Amino acid sequence: MAAPVAARALRVVSWSRSCAPPALGAHRDLHTTPVCFKTRAARVRVGKGDKPVTYEQAHAPHYIAHRKGWLSLHTGNLDGEAGAAERTVEDVFLRKFLYGTFPGCLANEVVLKRRANLLVICLVVLQNLAPSKLYFLIGYSETLLSHFYKCPVRLEVQTVPTKVIYKYL
Amino acid sequence: MAARRLGGSSWQQMSLLSRRWCLQAGSAGKREQNRYSSSSTTLEKTVENSEVTREEIVLPRRKTWDKLAVLQALASTVNRDPTAAHYMFQDDPFLMPRNTANSRLLSLSKESGRSAAKYIIKEFPQYFDKTTSEPNIPCLMPENLTPQIEGVSEAALKERIHLRGVKASVDLFDQLLQAGSPVSLETTNSLLDLLCFYGDGESAQEKQNEQKGDLEEPEENTSEQRSPKRQFQKSLNSSGFRWRENSNAERIFKIMPERNAHSYCTMIRGMVKHGAPAKAYDMYTDLLNERHKADVHTFNALIRAVPYLKEKFAERWALVKDFLNHMVQQEVQPNVLTFNAVLKTLRRCGGVGRGVSLSVIQEMNALDIEPSLATYEHLLHIFYRSVELQPSTIIAEILEEVEKRSFTPQDPDDANFFPTAMQACCDLKDIKLAYRLNKSMEKGDNWKFLDMDRLNAYWSKFFSLLCMMEQIDVVLKWYKEMTPSLFYPSTRSMFDLLQALDAANHLEVIPSVWEDIKQLGFSRKQDLLEELLSLMSREEHPEEEHDGAFPANQQDPH
Repeated sequence: MAAPVAARALRVVSWSRSCAPPALGAHRDLHTTPVCFKTRAARVRVGKGDKPVTYEQAHAPHYIAHRKGWLSLHTGNLDGEAGAAERTVEDVFLRKFLYGTFPGCLANEVVLKRRANLLVICLVVLQNLAPSKLYFLIGYSETLLSHFYKCPVRLEVQTVPTKVIYKYL
Repeated sequence: MAARRLGGSSWQQMSLLSRRWCLQAGSAGKREQNRYSSSSTTLEKTVENSEVTREEIVLPRRKTWDKLAVLQALASTVNRDPTAAHYMFQDDPFLMPRNTANSRLLSLSKESGRSAAKYIIKEFPQYFDKTTSEPNIPCLMPENLTPQIEGVSEAALKERIHLRGVKASVDLFDQLLQAGSPVSLETTNSLLDLLCFYGDGESAQEKQNEQKGDLEEPEENTSEQRSPKRQFQKSLNSSGFRWRENSNAERIFKIMPERNAHSYCTMIRGMVKHGAPAKAYDMYTDLLNERHKADVHTFNALIRAVPYLKEKFAERWALVKDFLNHMVQQEVQPNVLTFNAVLKTLRRCGGVGRGVSLSVIQEMNALDIEPSLATYEHLLHIFYRSVELQPSTIIAEILEEVEKRSFTPQDPDDANFFPTAMQACCDLKDIKLAYRLNKSMEKGDNWKFLDMDRLNAYWSKFFSLLCMMEQIDVVLKWYKEMTPSLFYPSTRSMFDLLQALDAANHLEVIPSVWEDIKQLGFSRKQDLLEELLSLMSREEHPEEEHDGAFPANQQDPH
């Protein structure tokens, strides 16, 4: 689930040539993406029963605030608050960064919590690496991200022996 | 008064009629009180009260609180969690350290992760220099260490000195001299300061670039004979640099056209720091010949170097007195570091030191200089750690002084006070003194003097003393509270615990002790295993005990 989303190709829809093409052959085109149905968003499709799926993956987005919590907590989306877009971009960067820094170790999606200036990153990590290596990566990430985002960053790590499977789809 | 009486009686009549009538007579303040009172005596009292409240209301002064006051108040409500490790570790069973070695390893790996990140930030500062925070946080920006001013000029030299580039400054200085332009005395003095502080080696930043070895080991200087000089160097200078005959600092000093007192002082301090005490003494005689005055830091350095200048105790003390007299002649005020240096030298003066140290303390009190923890540490060392232990009650007096206040760090040797004091308590086998010492450590800021290593040493000694002297339930209570949050028991501590259990015949606790031993990773230590097995095989144990905990128990009752 932590795999980066594949880039979708842009499709260009040109206006038909019949209605007044500009003299120099320049086009004004409408750019669209391929269709993404909302009924297929963030859902793992049911298969033969051999696909292990975590609790997070097993629940569709309409279960957020009913059976699921949020993965990113900040006040940017409240009325009158600014910066929602910046927070989203930061979140994307942080998830990619952590996916690469802890190779093969993330057992679940990263939870990001923002409290005033502080950014708390909560990870669930598999016990693949030795504790000293994990501490190395934790110290490295904390310092690098603090300097990058100019705010204190704290990592809170919890370890599990294997990925926690909720059901098989 | 008469009017009020009238009002009172009229109220009483009216109260018979209805309680809802508001009184017109008297002050407004009466109304509230009169509604529910039915006796005239209460009425009179309330009348007097309202008289009093008509006086001036004094507004109290607005209190100004420290910025951290709220946080400190909240922190004072939270006690230490006895089951958690140090807060720098993650709160997870897989990631919690098991014993001392493990905790060092994990904290060092976290630190090396941090320095790896700092290296990346230094290498690619262009990705980290956008100021997205209001106000700007300077410590999260990449450091700019490249000198801005180019060219051969004195301003450029000053900038390089400010940025602590040792090699660059020396090269630029040589270039300036070759070009013939004179360098001012001040700039030369600051260059000498830089060289004497970093010892002609590289400063920390330049060293980082070339560092290949461990963070731990100091760089060993291979071309050295085994001599007292080596210990001197290790004790005074951790970077391993030794003062050379043709070092840059000496060379620059020699070619200086004019020198003032500052130049001599810097050279003396540098020589003492980097292991050339005899040269420092010669430099000092030069300074006296030129009729300059030395400053207090120079004298401190010279006093610290005395044990390496003379061998006999009496000669050492005579030299120290000499220096102190010179201080008086040159009208230099001693400070707490001076007296700490004197006491440190007296540590190596044997019996002479013991006799004289108390008069040193009296001198300090006479000059109104407050002793720091290092003073007490040196005193304890003089009286309690020498070969022939003479009984002395000085430790009780020292504890009394220490209990009174919370100390601030003034001397690098301050941090050794608590472990040394606890060692002295252990040697004297006095548990009450240890409790007092503990209390004084928890007071105010005193706990900050103990870092991870010293914390471990301190608590290990305290625990051994407890095992020796106290009842078993007190020992167990302390054991539960102290591990693993305050210290990780060593093999020695577990040994002591087992012996204490043995002495108290409290052998039912052994299964949980064995669990702890396994968790600490001591399950393969020969002597501990032997002790444990001999204790277990001494008696018949009841049935419940052999479930699960002892694969090695020979006496399983079936």
